Amino acid sequence: MFLRNYWYVAALDEEVRDRPLGRMILGEPVVLFRSGDGALHAFEDRCPHRQLPLSMGKLVGDVLQCHYHGLRFDGSGQCVRVPGQDHIPQNARVRTYPVVERYRWIWIWMGDPAQADPEQICDFHWLTDPDWGAKPSYLHVEANWQLIVDNLLDLTHLAFVHETTIGNMALVEHAAVKVQRSPNGVLVTRWTIDQPAPPTFVKVGKFTGNVDRWQIIDYAPPAFLRLDVGATPTGTGAPEGRRVGGIGMRNLNAITPETEATSHYFWAQAHDFEPHNADMTERVFQQIKTAFLEDVAVFTAQQRMISLRPDAPQVDINADAGGMQARRIVDRLYREEQEATAAHATAAV
Amino acid sequence: MPLNFRVELVWQGSDGGEASSIFLTSDGRVILQGRGISANEREALKLPRDADLISVDRNLIRAIKDML
Repeated sequence: MFLRNYWYVAALDEEVRDRPLGRMILGEPVVLFRSGDGALHAFEDRCPHRQLPLSMGKLVGDVLQCHYHGLRFDGSGQCVRVPGQDHIPQNARVRTYPVVERYRWIWIWMGDPAQADPEQICDFHWLTDPDWGAKPSYLHVEANWQLIVDNLLDLTHLAFVHETTIGNMALVEHAAVKVQRSPNGVLVTRWTIDQPAPPTFVKVGKFTGNVDRWQIIDYAPPAFLRLDVGATPTGTGAPEGRRVGGIGMRNLNAITPETEATSHYFWAQAHDFEPHNADMTERVFQQIKTAFLEDVAVFTAQQRMISLRPDAPQVDINADAGGMQARRIVDRLYREEQEATAAHATAAV
Repeated sequence: MPLNFRVELVWQGSDGGEASSIFLTSDGRVILQGRGISANEREALKLPRDADLISVDRNLIRAIKDML
């Protein structure tokens, strides 16, 4: 199940430089490239001649040349050269997709191009904000995208999957969690008060005593999760809005379905302490990356079990509240998108 | 009683209006936030005298249907 009329992250900006990048998105092969003037383009990754992926080709100035027979396509997707003949068949063109470069990511619109409004791109300004240090990265995940959303909206798993980095039992045993559901969003707020800091927080925040810790997870469909996380020495007023003497971070996540069983996972870690210290940015990033790789192992194993028996029943627990609300929003949006598409098709007949 | 894992659910409509809270407790209960019914109301509305009754807003009913 994919929502199509949304902006998705297709690539890190640094992935699309001087050669075409092939990437499957929502089950469709896409090639991303920059023409000679730096302009971004996204095509269906399929030559209309004999269907070789155009990502196997190369850039020749402003045009993309197919590796097989050298057909060339300009930025509009139109074939502009067929080697050995003057005539260019009228239907020798490839489908194009709207693309935008923002927040060090390349965004793509896989749905109706007429509805592609860059103003709808989810806000990830921390990636380019000078008041924050940040490092983005990419993981390929052998799992359905909604398993990753579930994971990020339920942070009780930190106590078990990430006990050596960002988790401890305080997250499960002493937590009051608030799940706010709006028509198109979920906000999960969790405070753990006067509890030991987890190992990563001790390393980068140098805490020596108990802390007041917050985790505020902002979900926007289809799969954008922005986590406001941090801690201050306990009793210094963070729950009342006075965040001093501690650390604040943003864990930023944009998941793009590749297929029903695989995902592109774009994530980043931003920090508000020593924002211009590249060593600190790298240290924070590496700490969180360790935890993320632990998550990827979980997703992969989950997907393996789900694929073996897709209809196996699942039990829900209280900690699933945020993830369940997100799934209900996606179900409703998918239904609405399907109905709108059907109505549009009917009107066109 | 020490706090264990407890979830508060809050539903917000498209007009921005919020429902009162639903609490899921670690012992399996669902607790709804509402207003107690006074003796006068029980009398006037012919409601049971001894039952634990609360009055809830209609957004809370939407919340229960949408979120639980």
